[in-house]
Amino acid sequence: MLTKFETKSARVKGLSFHPKRPWVLASLHNGVIQLWDYRMCTLIDKFDEHDGPVRGIDFHKQQPLFVSGGDDYKIKVGLLTMKIVKIYNNENEWSALISYVSYFFLLCSVLTGHNHYVMCAQFHPSEDLVVSGSLDQTVRVWDISGLRKKNLSPGAVETEVRGISGVDLFGASDAVVKHVLEGHDRGVNWAAFHPTMPLIVSGADDRQVKIWRMNESKAWELDTCRGHYNNVSCAIFHPRQELILSNSEDKSIRVWDMSKRTGVQTFRRDHDRFWVLGAHPNLNLFAAGHDSGMIVFKLERERPAYAVHGNMLYYVKDRFLRQLDFNSSKDTAVMQLRSGSKFPVFSMSYNPAENAVLLCTRATNLENSTYDLYSIPKESDSQNPDAPEGKRSSGLTAVWVARNRFAVLDRMHSLLIKNLKNEIVKKVQVPSCEEIFYAGTGSLLLRDADGVTLFDVQQKRSLATVKISKVKYVVWSADTSHVALLAKHAIMICNRKLESLCNIHENIRVKSGAWDESGVFIYTTSNHIKYALTSGDHGIIRTLDLPIYVTRVRGNSVYCLDRECRPRVLTIDPTEYRFKLALVNRKYDEVLHMVRNAKLVGQSIIAYLQKKGYPEVALHFVKDEKTRFSLALECGNIEVALEAAKALDERSCWERLGEAALLQGHHQVVEMCYQRTKNFDKLTFLYLITGNLAKLRKMMKIAEIRKDMSGHYQAALYLGDVSERVRILKNCGQKSLAYLTAATHGLDEEAEALKETFDPEKETVPEVDPNAQLLQPPPPINPLDTNWPLLTVSKGFFEGPKNIKCVSFPLFFTDGFVDAPEGLGEEGLGKEEGGGWDVEEDLDLPPELDVPVGAGGGTEDGFFVPPTKGTSPTQMWCNNSQLPVDHILAGSFETAMRLLHDQVGVVDFGPYKSLFMQTLSRGRTSYLGLPSLPCLRGHPQRNWKDCGAKQGLPAVGLRLSDLISRLQQCYQLTTAGRFEDAVERFRVILLSVPLLVVDNKQEIAEAQQLITICREYIVGLTMETERKKLPKDTLEQQKRLCEMAAYFTHCNLQPVHMVLVLRTALNLFFKLRNFKTAAGFARRLLELGPKPDVAQQTRKILAACEKNLTDAHQLNYDPHNPFDLCAASYVPLYRGRPVEKCPLSGACYCPPYKGQICRVTQATEIGKDVIGLRVSPLQFR
Amino acid sequence: MAAQQGDVDELFDVKNAYYIGSYQQCINEAQKVKPSSPEKEIERDMFLYRAYIAQRKYAVVLDDIKANSPPELQAVKMFAEYLSSESKRDVIVADLDKKMAKSVDAANTTFLLMAASIYHHEMNTDAALRALHQGESLECMAMTIQVLLSLDRVDLARKELKKMQEQDEDATLTQLATAWVNIAVGGEKLQDAYYIFQEMSDKYSSTLLLLNGQAACYMAQNKWEEAEGVLQEALDKVGGPQELAFLVFVCLSGLCIYVTSRYLSQLKDAHRAHPFLKDYLAKENEFDRLAMQYAPTATA
Repeated sequence: MLTKFETKSARVKGLSFHPKRPWVLASLHNGVIQLWDYRMCTLIDKFDEHDGPVRGIDFHKQQPLFVSGGDDYKIKVGLLTMKIVKIYNNENEWSALISYVSYFFLLCSVLTGHNHYVMCAQFHPSEDLVVSGSLDQTVRVWDISGLRKKNLSPGAVETEVRGISGVDLFGASDAVVKHVLEGHDRGVNWAAFHPTMPLIVSGADDRQVKIWRMNESKAWELDTCRGHYNNVSCAIFHPRQELILSNSEDKSIRVWDMSKRTGVQTFRRDHDRFWVLGAHPNLNLFAAGHDSGMIVFKLERERPAYAVHGNMLYYVKDRFLRQLDFNSSKDTAVMQLRSGSKFPVFSMSYNPAENAVLLCTRATNLENSTYDLYSIPKESDSQNPDAPEGKRSSGLTAVWVARNRFAVLDRMHSLLIKNLKNEIVKKVQVPSCEEIFYAGTGSLLLRDADGVTLFDVQQKRSLATVKISKVKYVVWSADTSHVALLAKHAIMICNRKLESLCNIHENIRVKSGAWDESGVFIYTTSNHIKYALTSGDHGIIRTLDLPIYVTRVRGNSVYCLDRECRPRVLTIDPTEYRFKLALVNRKYDEVLHMVRNAKLVGQSIIAYLQKKGYPEVALHFVKDEKTRFSLALECGNIEVALEAAKALDERSCWERLGEAALLQGHHQVVEMCYQRTKNFDKLTFLYLITGNLAKLRKMMKIAEIRKDMSGHYQAALYLGDVSERVRILKNCGQKSLAYLTAATHGLDEEAEALKETFDPEKETVPEVDPNAQLLQPPPPINPLDTNWPLLTVSKGFFEGPKNIKCVSFPLFFTDGFVDAPEGLGEEGLGKEEGGGWDVEEDLDLPPELDVPVGAGGGTEDGFFVPPTKGTSPTQMWCNNSQLPVDHILAGSFETAMRLLHDQVGVVDFGPYKSLFMQTLSRGRTSYLGLPSLPCLRGHPQRNWKDCGAKQGLPAVGLRLSDLISRLQQCYQLTTAGRFEDAVERFRVILLSVPLLVVDNKQEIAEAQQLITICREYIVGLTMETERKKLPKDTLEQQKRLCEMAAYFTHCNLQPVHMVLVLRTALNLFFKLRNFKTAAGFARRLLELGPKPDVAQQTRKILAACEKNLTDAHQLNYDPHNPFDLCAASYVPLYRGRPVEKCPLSGACYCPPYKGQICRVTQATEIGKDVIGLRVSPLQFR
Repeated sequence: MAAQQGDVDELFDVKNAYYIGSYQQCINEAQKVKPSSPEKEIERDMFLYRAYIAQRKYAVVLDDIKANSPPELQAVKMFAEYLSSESKRDVIVADLDKKMAKSVDAANTTFLLMAASIYHHEMNTDAALRALHQGESLECMAMTIQVLLSLDRVDLARKELKKMQEQDEDATLTQLATAWVNIAVGGEKLQDAYYIFQEMSDKYSSTLLLLNGQAACYMAQNKWEEAEGVLQEALDKVGGPQELAFLVFVCLSGLCIYVTSRYLSQLKDAHRAHPFLKDYLAKENEFDRLAMQYAPTATA
């Protein structure tokens, strides 16, 4: 039993689950009704309307209503989340609302027939039946179809209205006793129908649970479940499984197997008697009410066991291991599991290398837990998959730690390492641990009471520990760089070294999670899909109705399994977390893209950005000028701030902007701000420090106009304008000061004038300080008209492509992270070198420290004889094959050459050199063994799968298909008219053919055909090249040219080339006035179906030829007499004439050329007697 | 935690990094670790300097190991000297021969290993095996296996491997040696070898040595395209040491790709001294010599 939720209250007498929402109603013995959210574990509402115990309670199936009935003989209908809406005191009023409520409790008092109190009554879910239990020791089944017929009002929905209205509700004839079930020896407390079968279960004070069966005519007792040792208070059928649940005043809940009628499980409580049970109509949830509250529970875990590898999901469903291909959504059962355990598979670990799976099964008593090791069959019939024999052993958990090793946590909580045969390889001492999780090759995560430890199995030591209590699941990212540890209400994300990166607390249970491809962790709680970035940012993506188990996340698809173990795909909107991820990774281009294209705008995003220190990004979302202004100031974007300030035009804004601009030395903006706020003092001072004397003077004038004596004087002082100062002082009646000023500064005239005004009797002329120093502001060297010079700082990403209009001021924007790294790097480097190498300085260890333990250990057992050299694979290759290429690959050039010589008559190996070398170099690989040693050699073999130690043959990289595809390039060169290049390439192909290895006769034929094709082209193209070099001055020479062109048309070429060749020949012959032959060429040309324009022209020529079907000149060319062409002299060798052939290419030659090098291959001897081409082992059998 | 457990090797990370070819990491770890005893300190230094050797930074080793350094380190220095200058090799080998003729302190495994390394470079496999035979450490066995494989004695290599497996089956060296032997054995074992390399790259880091091994397995299975992918990954990682470059060449030849000739000439320029190229050039000469034996019976 998994307890999901518990409440504390007075005795619970009635229970009801809401069919859709996570709510449960509990009616209490003290008259209170509680509405609980069992998922959030909170009390939603309380209704205190009844006096005395509330025995019956039910949700309405459709409406947001509930109904309750109590010992106060009142029925109350409540509107959920509000107080009781109406109280119904008499039968007449019930009818109005009765159709909206379920009213089983009503019947308890109305059904007549029982001889004692009716303790319970329930409707049949689909038929017009009611079952009731009474203290008269009977269970009765009532037929209420009469009631229904009578009261079905027109238009009423059948399910809602069970046809009850009118005054004579529940008249004697409306409910007829159909069956009376007698068998209990004491009062019956509860009776209930089976949801689908004609069964009834009842519980009574005789401590028994009875199962009854009924048909149309009778009902009888099937069996009795004995076990409770006090009154059975309630008994119900499990809505979906073959189980009965009962509870009792003996403080236990018991689960019975319906078919075997034996107890399956018993859950005891220490002090509380149970009174009532409730089952959720759709979910696997139950509630039980007891003396001091209630519990919501389920009988077993619903989490499917699954494992993900690459694109494959493996999961267990109904005793089958199934495989789901995420890409193709192909879902197949790959094998049947061995039966025998009544518990579902708890967890799974999949091994892709061996295609093996470990399935762990948890028993109620943990010590009885087992695991099975299965090897998944390679081929399987999805309809009827194999049931391979697994290997079962006891152990809490088993997970793979390497391709051929898995770790088992046994019941003693020690760690065993086993191999694929399920044999113990070693035992590992581990720190205390209660659960183990996968952690990549050779490592495990061990969970103890308050933390998780990364443990290296090979080194047998703990590498890192992190504190987090009760981790339930562990999810690694695809590259195992991050891991998410899921506990009941917490998630911790760590890196590979198990350093905690972030901690997230959830109020609702955390269910599952998976990493998406960009490194965001997507997880589910009972009611949400959420995301978490490794930086700790997390949030809700969408809500869920029912819990799901995430298996994989790709793009905006979340793949999951639901509680029924069905694979599903949900779509999510990843914008928010992508956006945040891009911000964290400083991928501002993406951010900007999203800002522009996604609908992200919202206060929360702005607040987020501001909080996280991205005001410059937030700026892009804001339309409100005020926010915009403060964001702009925050990120120091004066320009935008100015714009906003202009729009707002508030004093406080200007002041703040002025301050900010001043800090940045943006004095033009400062000036503007001061002007706007009429802050003359500051403005004056600004002009002073920027040396703007003209404006300063203007300020003085303004001060004068404003009659601001002090400001006026101050400005004069700034300007060093003494006469002005004297004037001001005079005007404001400070005669002495004016005089002194004038006198001190040597304005004698003024001084005299002022002196005159002194009244010698009343006033004394003040003494001029003889030591007075000249008080003059330093004159500005250069008035600063522009802003202070700004550092050239690379603009932030968001500054570049912005779409803001105002650009009148240069930007002064520092990011602050530009120049830090350099110094750092150097420092780090120096430290590294110094620190590391000082250590060794005075290591003066005496050599005796090395105790010679195994001295002479090796030599003791006799003289060591070094082994002789073995046979290398290359030697085997030579022994095993007669194909030249195998010998080349083996490096045995000598034999390879002899073979080529004997088989195809190669006598000049020049052209073969590069082929030999290239072939040789792919004959061996090298790989590093121990460091600093010569590397090891590998020898790829083509029959590596089944060759064994002796039958090896080298891998041949060259394939027939490669050569054929190379032919296409040659054709292209030919079409392009690059004959010499083409010949070169054709020849390489031709020479490569003897280095092929093929498997069947067809391919041998193809290889030979390939030679023919190459030969035809080489002969033709070399002749054409030759022809073009020949002179064409005399008639004889022209005739020879024509002949060669004509011979060319007899080479076996591709139609596209033949068209070109024929056109050349046609033109030449037409010019030579050999119309008859020309006509022949024209016809052949037309047969090939050339392009329309060519065809048209050809037809014209043909017509011209046909007017005069004669040949002007006699040529050595007879189109009707088949001939071979001598590849050296380019003369026709008509059939029957002696001919010598090249053993490889098959090119023909006039007999005098025998013994010479073939013109086509340039490697073979003409007319040599050979074995023939050998490219397949078939040819040696 | 580590200190509590008796059989934990404090130098594990150092050694491991060295064996899987993650030399810089080995050096970093060696500089980080605080050895608990002088013996461990020597051992650590040994791996540190050998990692430098593997990086071909001979000068560091030659300068750092003084005349008064312990004999283990002297052995390392000898190896560094051997590798650093071709001209001195004969002298060093002669000197080594003398030392080997005398009774050798078999506990100085390092000396044995270094001696065997030198002999192996000298192609004197007999002497190498003789030296290794005296040692009992895993590394001695691993080197023995490598020498045996170079002699094409897979049978003996398997025997030696069995001994290693008895001693410690899960040790990195044993795993690596298993992979080598598996490659030599071929057939289905190739996949096992591949898995060993792959698991190690998963577990630690994918070093050139491991990627190289993976590629070799692929090629042995005629999976040239896959091999090319792995090699490309390795090349992207670092410029690629010589072995790798040659392997890439082999792989490309295996794929019958034309660029090989250009690649080869680059290799000829860059790594003239590499045994692969030496072999190659020798074969070219052999070809020319053999080709002389053939001629057409008639000339035009």
